[in-house]
Amino acid sequence: MYVIVVGAGKIGFYLTRALLSASHEVTLIERDAHISAAAAEEFGSIVITSDGTEPSVLEEAGANRCDILISTSGRDATNLTACQVAKYSFNTPRTVAVVTDPDHVPLFRELGVDVTISTTELILSHLEEELTGGPFVHVLPMQGGSKGIVVIRAPYGSPVVGQTVSRLKLPEGTLLVAVIQKNGDLQPALADPEIAPDDEIVAITPPEKEDELWRALTGEAKR
Amino acid sequence: MPRRVMIVGCGRLGASMAAALIERGDHVAILDTDAENFRRLRAHPRLKMYVGDGVSHETLRSAGIESAEAFIAATGQDTTNALAAQSARATFGIAHVVCRINDPVRSEMYESLGLTTVNANRLVLDLALKAMEP
Repeated sequence: MYVIVVGAGKIGFYLTRALLSASHEVTLIERDAHISAAAAEEFGSIVITSDGTEPSVLEEAGANRCDILISTSGRDATNLTACQVAKYSFNTPRTVAVVTDPDHVPLFRELGVDVTISTTELILSHLEEELTGGPFVHVLPMQGGSKGIVVIRAPYGSPVVGQTVSRLKLPEGTLLVAVIQKNGDLQPALADPEIAPDDEIVAITPPEKEDELWRALTGEAKR
Repeated sequence: MPRRVMIVGCGRLGASMAAALIERGDHVAILDTDAENFRRLRAHPRLKMYVGDGVSHETLRSAGIESAEAFIAATGQDTTNALAAQSARATFGIAHVVCRINDPVRSEMYESLGLTTVNANRLVLDLALKAMEP
């Protein structure tokens, strides 16, 4: 794949290194001359010292033939602009933005960014999982964020414990896919397994139904 | 009818727009990340100044965006203006949004997405060309 990475800060730098070692073609755009010089020392001529939100720069970088553009700067406004220019001026098929302010996540999706990566939410979700050990949801967005895969652990005392999958009342538009049992066995939903405490339930849901699904499976409001 | 207008960016453009709107009888809330920039404005009962970043929804809310009828993104940075203006429109549902964009290719793109953009450079250029017509 041909990937354009905007921003050679920590995320952009290590992402570029990983993409190159996986044999992808990469162009890395960084505005700050000092930061880009450090990147060029490692990656050579694939580094462009320029503003990755400028249409002329993205054109030079080949935004019209790249498969994906990933904007990794620390400024949300920069990442949104880079993605929108790529998408709407150069028809880049997929755009990915790193988002610092979690409030911007739904906005960016609405504005045409295909994938948002909220560093704050990622760290927070891992922290919550580490600290609480309680029921937890992992989200993997699909279809540009209109649906997502979630994994919710049924805690002791949840209303679904002891029920079989076919008897569960789930929010409209959500699909229960499988149950991962405590011993690691994977049961497809079609096999209609009975839910035991600490089973992890895999489902596909639109994001707006996520809280409702959470309540249905754990019996409590989502934090 | 006086309106409630929010302006992001108190540079020369933002400040002179705020002054003009106050003059017309409108209510203005103006935001800037640097309180120093408010020196360009004179205090007025219908003018409120807020120090904060206009791309933050939290800041916009605390400056009263939910009751604003019009929104102007007037900082010197296209990227900041684009994010602030699109937040005002998409997140807060403000009908009248104007966004200052200096790059001509970008302003064309935002226009095609339905955003009203103003290109200060372009305006000056057009006026200058017109003034030089025989």
